[in-house]
Amino acid sequence: MRDLKTVINFTIKDMVKRKSFIISTLIILILIVLGFNIPNIINLFSNGTENVNNIILIVDSQNIFEGTLDSINELDLGYEVKVTTENLSLDDIKNQIEAKEINEAMIIEKPETGNIKIRYIVKNMATVTSVPEDLVNAINQTYSNLQISKLGLTQEQIQSITPNFEFSMEQTEEQEVSGNLFVMMMLSIVLFYAIYFCAYQVSSSITTEKTSKIMETLVTSASPKTIVLGKTIGIGIVGLVQVCVIVAVSLISAKIFLEPGLLESVLDMSKITPTLGVITIIYFILGYFTYALLYALTGSTVSKPEDIQSANTPVAILVVIGFYLSYFTMMNPTSSLNVFASMFPFSSPFCMPFRIMMGIASVTDILISIAILIVTILIIAKVAIKIYSNAILNYGTKMTFKDMVKMYKDKNN
Amino acid sequence: MGLKLQNVSKNFVGKLAVDNISFELEKPGVFGLLGTNGAGKTTTIRMLLGIIKKDKGEITWNGKAVERKNVNFGYLPEERGVYPKVKIFDQLMYFAELKGMKRKDAQGAIEKWAKVLKVEEYLYVPAEKLSKGNQQKIQFMTAIIHDPELIVLDEPFSGLDPVNSEILKNIIIDLVKNGKYIIMSSHQMASIEEFCSDIVILNKGKTVLKGNLKEIKESYRANRVLLSTDVNVEKDIKDLQMEIEFTKNNEYIIKIQDEESAHQLLKNLIQKNIVVNKFEIQKPTLNDIFIEKVGD
Repeated sequence: MRDLKTVINFTIKDMVKRKSFIISTLIILILIVLGFNIPNIINLFSNGTENVNNIILIVDSQNIFEGTLDSINELDLGYEVKVTTENLSLDDIKNQIEAKEINEAMIIEKPETGNIKIRYIVKNMATVTSVPEDLVNAINQTYSNLQISKLGLTQEQIQSITPNFEFSMEQTEEQEVSGNLFVMMMLSIVLFYAIYFCAYQVSSSITTEKTSKIMETLVTSASPKTIVLGKTIGIGIVGLVQVCVIVAVSLISAKIFLEPGLLESVLDMSKITPTLGVITIIYFILGYFTYALLYALTGSTVSKPEDIQSANTPVAILVVIGFYLSYFTMMNPTSSLNVFASMFPFSSPFCMPFRIMMGIASVTDILISIAILIVTILIIAKVAIKIYSNAILNYGTKMTFKDMVKMYKDKNN
Repeated sequence: MGLKLQNVSKNFVGKLAVDNISFELEKPGVFGLLGTNGAGKTTTIRMLLGIIKKDKGEITWNGKAVERKNVNFGYLPEERGVYPKVKIFDQLMYFAELKGMKRKDAQGAIEKWAKVLKVEEYLYVPAEKLSKGNQQKIQFMTAIIHDPELIVLDEPFSGLDPVNSEILKNIIIDLVKNGKYIIMSSHQMASIEEFCSDIVILNKGKTVLKGNLKEIKESYRANRVLLSTDVNVEKDIKDLQMEIEFTKNNEYIIKIQDEESAHQLLKNLIQKNIVVNKFEIQKPTLNDIFIEKVGD
């Protein structure tokens, strides 16, 4: 127990003191603060120099709309609409666009026979993503209103022909799904990266000890079990603190730098409860242990730093599969695949927290998934410690899976 | 009492790495473990320290199995290693604490040994900045920092310059004086001859020679004569059917079959009034014995 504490302490100190760790953490924090300042930075550069609103000139030379087009500006569609009844030629409009007085124009014409034509004039068709449907609809509506008003109808009559639907959505299944998909995806992604990167450190830490040949001194000073667990716990503590700092800095920057209300509009703050925090941390810890011990296993089979990548590939594939299994079934949380993902130990750490957040996971489900994870961790720990004890003194070529099975079975070693 | 290995064997995937080895350290001193590369020295040491399990036999320390909890041992492995990015003091403290030392005691021991080994100035420097020789001294410190009873040194002198070798030798002599049991494996026969009272020579996993070094050497007959004269005496030597192994400036190393022929040579030279500056009948060195035993 004392040895375990010593290994944990040494691992934490070793990690925290590393320049690469300090610099990468600082860079992440700076990027977060900068990221939340992007709207402010853009405003700083665009202020006064360029109008963010599109100015659209509507040319109604035949005065078809009888001056009612100005009312479109009240709709706040994101355009600034200028209306003119002058008979401007295409060249006049071109000149105005070139002079940046306007961005686009619409020419409305009513031929002798047939429908009203709207010609949409832009500088370059390639830069226009789509026709501004909302503006066209607004023009349509304005025309209808104008024509209706000419009929001399009563207020009731006008109301009876104006559609005024009330729309609502309900579901047939009893479980109520709530929550914000954006938040759930963020949670899943944060968990994925945190677990993946922290767990990976365990592998590289063990390989460093092997390649620096310190292993032999170490195994005569502490038991392999103590070393593997101490390392895993130490790196986990550093990782957890790092993730907490990053999340805290993100939330604080969002509060300080974003316009009030903007954060709340995408993030339903009422969903972020202390219970969710605790559950997320529990799943982070369990997920981290699952993958960290797998990485300890692969890390101990490597004796040259250049082999570490290939030895770790199977674990990397497993973690990506686990993540996507939960990520892609997130859209359909009641599907059986998502239920499976919340139980399967390699995907449940990414999946269960958002099921809990949506309120569709029962307490039994949560307990079962945690139990499955713990059993998985114990099994992996047993195999990893065994392979580690046997593989650490194996310097030479990279071990194959067959070698590992043999090592696991080899009681003599 | 002491360390005892009885009929210890180890098999590595069909290859017998160590075959039925037995030896004993009954009293404090330096025990020499000799052998060519791949003779089974490191495997024997690893079994001894419980890093790998033996297939057969018994290894005991004061009658108890050699395990971390029973024996306070120190180990300098053949594969030298340090944490490259960690400051020397921190890694020494780490191993001292793992060996059960209290921080305060460990700090005192680190400072004391750093002074003796002349590495005080490097204590707060990452290991990667140290020369290989200094890194080795640090590793030697990890082996002895916790004042172990049993110390295993695998090739302690390889890579050290004469000055540092001398420092290390003096420490080893002191350790023996303080009642430590030391097992030393080395290719440098001179250092083994200097320290070891008992030796075992391994070849391909088997014991080929074992016992008290002095007794072993005495059991060998003299095989050389060292001769230095004022004039060239090559002819006189060859007249007695003796073989010259090496000659330079009227100094000769002569192979002899028995001491009689050597005495005859000296008699002949004196009769001729040749000035003999040096005449020494020599027993075989450990190097000779080693080559005889393990050379094919």
